[in-house]
Amino acid sequence: MTPAVTGVAVTGVAVALPGAADARALLHPARPGAGPVDPAALIGRKGLRFKDRATQLGLHLAYAALSDAGLLQNGELTVRKDRLGAVVSSNLGNVDTVCRAVETISKESTSALSPMDTPNASSNIIASETAIRYGLRGPNLTVCNGRASGLDAIRWAALMLRTGRADHILVTGVEPDNEVTRRLVDGPMADGGAAVVLSRPAGTRARALLGPVLRTAQPADTAHQLVRQVPGGGLWLSAEDHPVPRSALRNALNSWGELSGALGVVQCAAAAGWFAEGNKSPAYALAGAAGAVLLAPEGTP
Amino acid sequence: MTYPILGTGAVASIGADADAIFDSLCAGRSGLAPLRAFDPSRFNAQQLFEIDDRQTEGIDEPGRATRFLVEAIRQAAEDAGLPEDLAGIPVLVGTGLRELRTLELWWRDGVPLDADGLHFEDALRRHFGAVDTHTFAGACSASLYALALAWDLLELGEAETVVVAGCDVVTESMFGQADRVQFDPPPSVRPFDENRQGTILGEGAAAIVLSRSAPAGRPVRGRLHSVAVNCDAHHQTAPDAAGVEDAVRQAQAQAEVTPADIDLVVLHGTGTPLNDRTEAAVTARVFDSPGPALTGIKSLTGHTSGSAGLLSLIVALRSLERGLVPPIAGLADPLPEAAELRLVAGGPLAAPLRLAQVNSFGFGGVNAVAIVGGAA
Repeated sequence: MTPAVTGVAVTGVAVALPGAADARALLHPARPGAGPVDPAALIGRKGLRFKDRATQLGLHLAYAALSDAGLLQNGELTVRKDRLGAVVSSNLGNVDTVCRAVETISKESTSALSPMDTPNASSNIIASETAIRYGLRGPNLTVCNGRASGLDAIRWAALMLRTGRADHILVTGVEPDNEVTRRLVDGPMADGGAAVVLSRPAGTRARALLGPVLRTAQPADTAHQLVRQVPGGGLWLSAEDHPVPRSALRNALNSWGELSGALGVVQCAAAAGWFAEGNKSPAYALAGAAGAVLLAPEGTP
Repeated sequence: MTYPILGTGAVASIGADADAIFDSLCAGRSGLAPLRAFDPSRFNAQQLFEIDDRQTEGIDEPGRATRFLVEAIRQAAEDAGLPEDLAGIPVLVGTGLRELRTLELWWRDGVPLDADGLHFEDALRRHFGAVDTHTFAGACSASLYALALAWDLLELGEAETVVVAGCDVVTESMFGQADRVQFDPPPSVRPFDENRQGTILGEGAAAIVLSRSAPAGRPVRGRLHSVAVNCDAHHQTAPDAAGVEDAVRQAQAQAEVTPADIDLVVLHGTGTPLNDRTEAAVTARVFDSPGPALTGIKSLTGHTSGSAGLLSLIVALRSLERGLVPPIAGLADPLPEAAELRLVAGGPLAAPLRLAQVNSFGFGGVNAVAIVGGAA
């Protein structure tokens, strides 16, 4: 598969991590002491009150990415609602709701549960709330697939664009920081993520072009495949140094804590940031055994 | 374009394989039973459609969703004549609740778990050598959403064969949150009945093997004609007739069939007041009277969440194969919106069937509708 065959472009990018509010900020380590992202500051308080943290961050990212892609203007969509879909990657978005509920039931009974938590018990709460708030009536998919989840989300969105199920798909990768998520990943947890809008055909707003997205049995095989299909890359987005070539420029994106399901989408956003700084050579993203190539948009200065 | 379904596999409270489940549906055997492992003193509702597999009565175990998933895939692969090693075959799993029950046991009782234990990658690699594995947590339509993506992989030639599966067990958090807002627990699930009182959760897993072509001389279980997916973008729990109708019409258009071509619809039919009213109204609008035979499985299996859509699809395939439609158990007085509809009630309906539509709708308005045909 040559890069041009996918015909899919990144046409909108948003980032929401402490101290990083745009794609270029991902090219530098996190700013020490930066406060948590405040979704209400961007999208207002209305409708956020009973949403879990991951959903609030997801709604924030959706607004910013859809606006950046020009699909959302003055609160209205500029394209057909049924041609605009959403894919969300989050492994841990609702684990705190689930654990709090089982603890409450154990200590008291279901009468002590908050009815407001009911929607948050469902793992697709972020994607469905995003669709409801912004009117996205196309395919609505939630991917919970571990470390590779974010790049998998990009792959499924691209696939649905290529088969014509939608013209634009918002891909969001987001995770919340809380006691439960920290314990599950056994370390610091990221609080936020990124979103990109994928579109086909690419149009004039491309921030990056999507090359091959693939998965093999081993990260090393995936890396090999990426380089074989698109040689000459200048940036590796990979949390691990193996199997990135020793001399290559690598960005681990690890200074915000464990990105988990957000990782692959944050990598795509970082690639767009790298192209925005004028770099022309391809960027490789590796997450688990999944990988993707992103290419500089044509005609960028 | 249609794709052959080479094999099927399923487990539910009413049967340990697809044939047993179909026979139970025809015979009216229900899987509803008193809570098997949750502390009954904590809940108003006292019944679920659980699979009775725990080693010690009353003691829950981690990893049951994975166990049922692996069993359904094992059956489907064997039925399709695939080798035990699925290394080159993508496995797409739709689930409402993943391994969240294990997460609950981790948090409350300290059973071992890390973040990678919430999805099915490790188990699918261990049991089948599968590496291209995917867990989609798209609520109650998750397994038909996974089927749509499998269709897309075949359509673009990115895979020759795909395993699609769905699985779910009941979590205390989901059961408990529903219990919190459902003051009078329903004594039974009665889809499309005037006196229906709501749904009850169930457990199950289902799997199919879908391929670009069938090996010469090998019988197939049926053919997939289309899968349409969309989202209401309307309300978390209340379905939107416009979104549901769009999904149905898209599925029929993609399959290049008209409503008159459909002989059977396996309805989502959860037994909640709102779902059944909306689904009946949309069905009445799409199909001219007398329309196709209509059935649903949830009065006997319960609402098996993310596995429900694929379980319904496998039941549809068995119906096409045998020319027999299981009835909607517990249906006595159809709701007014269904007055003109051919809901199958009382006993199984014998009829020649060629094409079936399968409805699956989920929390947040995620709709999926598939059209399947017989093997011929």
